[in-house]
Amino acid sequence: MRLEHSQSSSKIGARILIIEDESTIAELLRTGLTYEGFRVSVVSGGEEGLECADKEDFDLVILDLMLPDIDGFEICRRLRLRGNDIPIIMLTARREIPDRIKGLNMGADDYVTKPFSFEELVARIRAVLRRRGSAAEPTQLSAADITLDLEAHEAYKGGKPLELTPTEFALLELFLRHPRRVFTRETLLNRIWGLDYEGDRNVVDVHISNLRRKLGDRERRLIRTIYGIGYSFRPD
Amino acid sequence: MKRWHDLPLRTKLTLLYLGLLSALICLLGAILYTDTKHFLISTTALRLRAQAKPVIERWFATGPGLPAPLAPPSPPSPGLPPAPPSESRQPSSGPVEQLTEDTAVSLSQALTSRDTTALVIDNQGHILATGRRLPEEPPAAPPDPQRINRALAGENEITYIDIANGQRTLVVLIPLRRTPTDPRILGVVQLNTPLATIDQILWRQRLLIGAGIIVAVLLGALGGLWITGSALAPLKRMIATCKRIAAGDLSQRVNLPRHYDEVGQLAAAFDDMVAHLEKAFAAQRRFVAAAAHELRTPLTAIKGSLEVLLRGSLDDKAAATKLIQGMYREVTRLNRLAEQLLSLTRLDTPVLIHKEKVNLAQFLNTVVQEAKLMAQERVITLNPGYPIVLEADPDSLKQVFYNLIDNAIRHTREGGKIEIGWGKKHASVEIWVADDGEGIPPTDLPHIFEPFYRGDRSRSRRRGGAGLGLSLAKGIVEAHGGTISVESSLGKGTCFRIRLPISDPERG
Repeated sequence: MRLEHSQSSSKIGARILIIEDESTIAELLRTGLTYEGFRVSVVSGGEEGLECADKEDFDLVILDLMLPDIDGFEICRRLRLRGNDIPIIMLTARREIPDRIKGLNMGADDYVTKPFSFEELVARIRAVLRRRGSAAEPTQLSAADITLDLEAHEAYKGGKPLELTPTEFALLELFLRHPRRVFTRETLLNRIWGLDYEGDRNVVDVHISNLRRKLGDRERRLIRTIYGIGYSFRPD
Repeated sequence: MKRWHDLPLRTKLTLLYLGLLSALICLLGAILYTDTKHFLISTTALRLRAQAKPVIERWFATGPGLPAPLAPPSPPSPGLPPAPPSESRQPSSGPVEQLTEDTAVSLSQALTSRDTTALVIDNQGHILATGRRLPEEPPAAPPDPQRINRALAGENEITYIDIANGQRTLVVLIPLRRTPTDPRILGVVQLNTPLATIDQILWRQRLLIGAGIIVAVLLGALGGLWITGSALAPLKRMIATCKRIAAGDLSQRVNLPRHYDEVGQLAAAFDDMVAHLEKAFAAQRRFVAAAAHELRTPLTAIKGSLEVLLRGSLDDKAAATKLIQGMYREVTRLNRLAEQLLSLTRLDTPVLIHKEKVNLAQFLNTVVQEAKLMAQERVITLNPGYPIVLEADPDSLKQVFYNLIDNAIRHTREGGKIEIGWGKKHASVEIWVADDGEGIPPTDLPHIFEPFYRGDRSRSRRRGGAGLGLSLAKGIVEAHGGTISVESSLGKGTCFRIRLPISDPERG
């Protein structure tokens, strides 16, 4: 059995098992989800996947429906039959309503169709984890004396509420999720403003400076400027 | 008023039919009417002559004496020239030799009855006597000198209709001869009979014919509408069906009960055509859906990879390289898919097959040599048959064998055997490509030549096939006028057989 683990460098994220036989899609899921802070294992067959899910402790399974050995529906059914209550997201090219209903009836927590948006997939993974009350997906993020309530969409510093715009909130959430990671301006633009943003690239600097002001970070010690690269959040 | 061409067929047919019908009936009525008129007039004239003839003969034979005392001489009608004085007033009872005023009176009176008045005219054209004595007897028409002269000249059958005093009178002229063979004509008897009765009959007849025409045309119109309506009803049904089909519902049929008249045949042909179209469209839809599905998988991978890269993974060189390599693989796959789709559609145009003489032994030898390069530890052998020369397009035929050999390689284990051979069968050659691989499940066998069909989707996709190779091979073989078939048993192997016609068997 070939199991590859990719650890998130900074903190302990949710462990995700990906059962997918299309190598390119498996690879992009591994890379993308690892970057988002998840710990990812990839297998390409159904038997392998079942074995893996039994042996190790995962927080979530991403399951392709069309596998060479066992049908994805069957894997889902067998997992549930064994009393395994692990959250399952089905990922498939079968987009017809009956297939979706069948998948959800088989015990899947969510159903994502190809072609999918990676951002949406991540959001759905987080939503499923939160719904299942997984410890790996907190509803609050804290670092230094900053706290973000993701459900109420509120931010506090030292117990006092902060007035943040949605963009500033998203920036702060990204920084809190990935402390110490260096983000280039391009990455920030792509993630916060979207892949099709074509406006002025200086918006990043403007919003960072606003955020610093609101956080009282005059010395630029919380959000540091990494010269020639971008920004990084350093709570320590 | 709508233009004639825009009128519904039913109305047009009915109008045409009505026009023809009324023309025929009118013609018939006119013939009937004129015939009746002639018949009535000529029988009346005939009756008058027949009645007058014995009277005149008797009068000539026995003399005018008999009737003379019965009738006093009537005064000459006003306007008539005064009668010449009579010379011999002998009430003789012998045969009449001369026509005189006295004798004429008795003759005219003998010929006059309630519906006929007689005038006796001498050979000078003067009226000698008129037989009218009572007012109920019809008045005589004034003599027509021209016709009198013709009668005096010897013309026997002069009959005409005179209109005088607002009354139509039938006039019959009878030349007076002592004996029928006597060439001497003493005078003329003019018989006048009013046409009132005949006119009445004719008027009734006109009325009857007119009413008949109207009733017949009305009934004809109703009948015509009904007949054309019932004849055109299937067409109306077809129009309605056509409209529903045009709206996109290809499952519609006219479904007329099968009558073998023209409309029934048209409806049946129409239904057959729609059935074919429906099948073709369904096949097309399946093909497009399958093609879209094949496109979607690599596109999903590429799109996802790009998204992940842009969301930050680009900063990690190693991860980025892996993703980019994956995208390159997917693009290659898309490219191959596009090529195969293109070849598949190109096959629809027959121009693409450039036939030339192909020496089969030489050709297959080259194919096998080249195939050995991609054999990946499979043993490929050529089992030559009789030398045969084919008329074929070597390039596309090569593609067929590469596809079959590639298929065989993908479905055999390492060390598996692939055999290619041929044999002559009647006017065609059979070429086979056999392997000892895993075989094809019987449930998949009927479908393997369908585009994008894959028995085991995931596995063969990983092996790189899009499911177009075999349908492409089938298309090329059929473009050569040949057939391709397959036999397979699970676990034992598969054998594809291609049968191509040999155009010139003598060259074998």
